Amino acid sequence: MSEPILEVSGLTACYGMISALKGIGFYVNDNEIVGIVGPNGAGKTTLLESIAGSMHIKEGQINFLGHQIERWPVLKRRQLGLMLVPQEGNIFPLMSVKKNLEVSVILSNRAKKEELIDRVYKLFPVLWEKRRQIANTLSGGQQKMLAVGIGIASNAKVMLIDEPSIGLAPKLVTKLFETLKKIKEDTRTTIVLSEQNIKVLNIADRLFGLEAGEIRFDEKTENLSRDVVKDLYLGSIS
Amino acid sequence: MKGRYEKIGTILILLLPSLFVFKGGYLQEVTGYVYLFLIQGYVAWFLFFKSGQPFFGYSVTMAIGAYATIVLTEMFQWPLFVSIFIGAVLATVIAVIMFLSTSRARGFYVSMASFLLAILFPKLIEALQPITGGRSGLYFGGLTALVGYKTLYLLVIFLTAAIVAFFLWIMGTKTGRILTLISENDRLTQTVGLNTRKYKILAYSIAGFISGFGGALYVNYTGFISSVDIEVFTTLYIFFIPLIGGSKVFYGPVLGALFVILIPELLVPVERYLRIFFGLIFILVIVLLPEGLAPNIQKLLRKMNPKRA
Amino acid sequence: MILNGIITGLIMGGILSLPVLGVAVIYGITGIPNFAIGVIGVFGGFLTWYFLSFNMGIAILVGVVFCFAIGYIIQRILLTPISERGGDSTLFFIVTVSLGFVFEGLMRAIFPRPSISLALPRIGTINIAGVTVEGFKIFALLFALGTLVIIRLLEEHTEIGKSWQATSQNLKLAKLIGIKTNRVFSIASGIGCALACVGAIFWGSLYNLNLMTGWDLGFLGFIIAVVGGIGNIWGGIISALIMGMVMSFSGYLLGGMWQSVILYFIVILVLIVAPKGILGSERSL
Ligand SMILES: Nc1ncnc2c1ncn2[C@@H]1O[C@H](COP(=O)(O)OP(=O)(O)OP(=O)(O)O)[C@@H](O)[C@H]1O
Ligand SMILES: [Mg+2]
Repeated sequence: MSEPILEVSGLTACYGMISALKGIGFYVNDNEIVGIVGPNGAGKTTLLESIAGSMHIKEGQINFLGHQIERWPVLKRRQLGLMLVPQEGNIFPLMSVKKNLEVSVILSNRAKKEELIDRVYKLFPVLWEKRRQIANTLSGGQQKMLAVGIGIASNAKVMLIDEPSIGLAPKLVTKLFETLKKIKEDTRTTIVLSEQNIKVLNIADRLFGLEAGEIRFDEKTENLSRDVVKDLYLGSIS
Repeated sequence: MKGRYEKIGTILILLLPSLFVFKGGYLQEVTGYVYLFLIQGYVAWFLFFKSGQPFFGYSVTMAIGAYATIVLTEMFQWPLFVSIFIGAVLATVIAVIMFLSTSRARGFYVSMASFLLAILFPKLIEALQPITGGRSGLYFGGLTALVGYKTLYLLVIFLTAAIVAFFLWIMGTKTGRILTLISENDRLTQTVGLNTRKYKILAYSIAGFISGFGGALYVNYTGFISSVDIEVFTTLYIFFIPLIGGSKVFYGPVLGALFVILIPELLVPVERYLRIFFGLIFILVIVLLPEGLAPNIQKLLRKMNPKRA
Repeated sequence: MILNGIITGLIMGGILSLPVLGVAVIYGITGIPNFAIGVIGVFGGFLTWYFLSFNMGIAILVGVVFCFAIGYIIQRILLTPISERGGDSTLFFIVTVSLGFVFEGLMRAIFPRPSISLALPRIGTINIAGVTVEGFKIFALLFALGTLVIIRLLEEHTEIGKSWQATSQNLKLAKLIGIKTNRVFSIASGIGCALACVGAIFWGSLYNLNLMTGWDLGFLGFIIAVVGGIGNIWGGIISALIMGMVMSFSGYLLGGMWQSVILYFIVILVLIVAPKGILGSERSL
């Protein structure tokens, strides 16, 4: 197997006195879907924000595409090809759907821009229907799709998505996960998502189990027993 | 209580300059000036930093005390001490009204409303020129004529020390602890079942009264006041006395007053540039030394004398 | 006299809407209340006055460009770093007021006179319903309104405008999708100060500029912007025009000295009575 494109080692991050990550090691290979699973407060969000650069880390290294990026500002990481769709506050609430997508393609060249926005509309036809609507008047599920759409429009090499399924109906979750898989296959994007939904087993190539700021397991999905994962690391929602 | 001796020591040190009275002249004059601003500095320390009330009207309360004293004695021929007292009461009333009227708004609005009042007040003084003298100001014999300059100087020293002692004392009482609690977490204090409004009104009253009294003392000592003396810059200047010295420690305002009064005295030739200088110092203090001078001086002392630490 | 007062009020309000817009741009985009912009704008007005005998166009350019640069620089080296460290409104209040004193001090130190008036060329007079109005005043009013419209169009239809909106609506996400938010902040601050400078130049050519004018423009601008609703341009214009009327009539009825007393009194009252803004603001304080 080739070198990982994203590798994290010895990552420690704190909120004041509370340490949320206690020396984490984590890696992602090219064109993989990796799931980070764990109970509430495990540190999933903290890990993703640390990688994207919106959280200040205390110790550790982050290597991305051969660069040591742990001291880089968000913007520079973004330019190198990292994008995070945060768990909350992941849309521009007072802009129309269309404008949300238009600003998200800011780093791409003109020809690419239209292609990316079209791709989002194809994946989420409902966004095309609602393109003139102001984002914060969309339903919760539609807002989630817009958030993922913003991630897709950004055309990053590695897309980090924090709990995309939260608040979505079971049917929509299945559809969203299929869409993510399709994105991966069509565009060779690498996707890292944190999840509490058991269906993540259907799309992820590998899973990391995170609990109380420490990695508990790192396994290929096919080697994992459903029940063990479910009992220990996933919520009862299925 | 460990801090007690330090506090008593501070008060005693504050009393020391009363010896300057034997030397008189420039040293005495400047020291009196420092002390008059020290009073205001402690008011800001108490109200803003210790009680967490976003008030910026120190120059206003001070000016009300000063002008009321002059106007009541000179125009209405009231006895001096009554006028001083009424001046302080008026300042209290204004401070409390300011609090009550803005108590629905959030902190930042209160800062702004009181700061705007500090802009308005000198304009009002100018508009009332026939009574207040406006820009050209008013001269006032007051206490100087009554007891003489040296006695007044001693009075300023002792009263300042007494006021500082009062502030240090009150922060040690139950009231003081509740005010500290309010400044740290207003909501929580309310949910514990304390009537925070009552304590805040008390804080504004104390601050207003002492600031007004300090203003009255000021005009008795300097013998002159005009709208220029109470420009909005003055309020910021007072606010920075505890901030520069160190708002967390009880002797912070002392260091701050020494700094803001003595530096300009040393820089007399560049008086033109005073505002630039102070503006920059204020910004630098906030950016580089948000804790003020005191902790850094302590650190420096410890470095020079490692055994004591 | 009433018609006269209304026209004067309209013009004052129109000019006032420039610093109001400056405040709204800065506060709306960066979330930082900057009380120094009035003083900086008036400093630019003094600069223009200083170079006026040389060449009018260049003089105006010097003032405006200088203000833009100052706005850009203070945001870059002072305000953005403080906000990244988590500064709150009270802190910005103290810092920007101190900054205002620095510029007021510079004005005192550099320029030979504390009060000036700019002699810009007049453009004849116009007759409106029996009242004669200087053409230049009409020009000032139209210029102010035109600027508002242009800024609005920029914001809606250009790439830069969209990234401004994105930054003001969700700073974190704006950073994540790759907007250079620090640059957006600096430019917004520069534009805000430049607008304040244009406002000051008009003010200085119709009335006069002194060391206090900057504070008046800055604070009035801020309050008007808050009352009208930050980010609500029309609200801003309407409240600027109302404030212009108040200034004009209090000037007529009470005379100079009392005019600014009344003005500040009203402003404080507004703060106390309607702290959320009359038309409601998106970014409430
Ligand atoms: N802003 C904060 N201040 C203090 N502690 C925080 C903050 N954010 C997170 N924490 C703590 O850090 C730990 C990890 O939180 P994190 O948000 O990373 O968990 P998570 O796995 O994403 O949880 P969830 O599934 O609920 O989103 C938790 O114990 C949480 O209480
Ligand atoms: Mg989370």
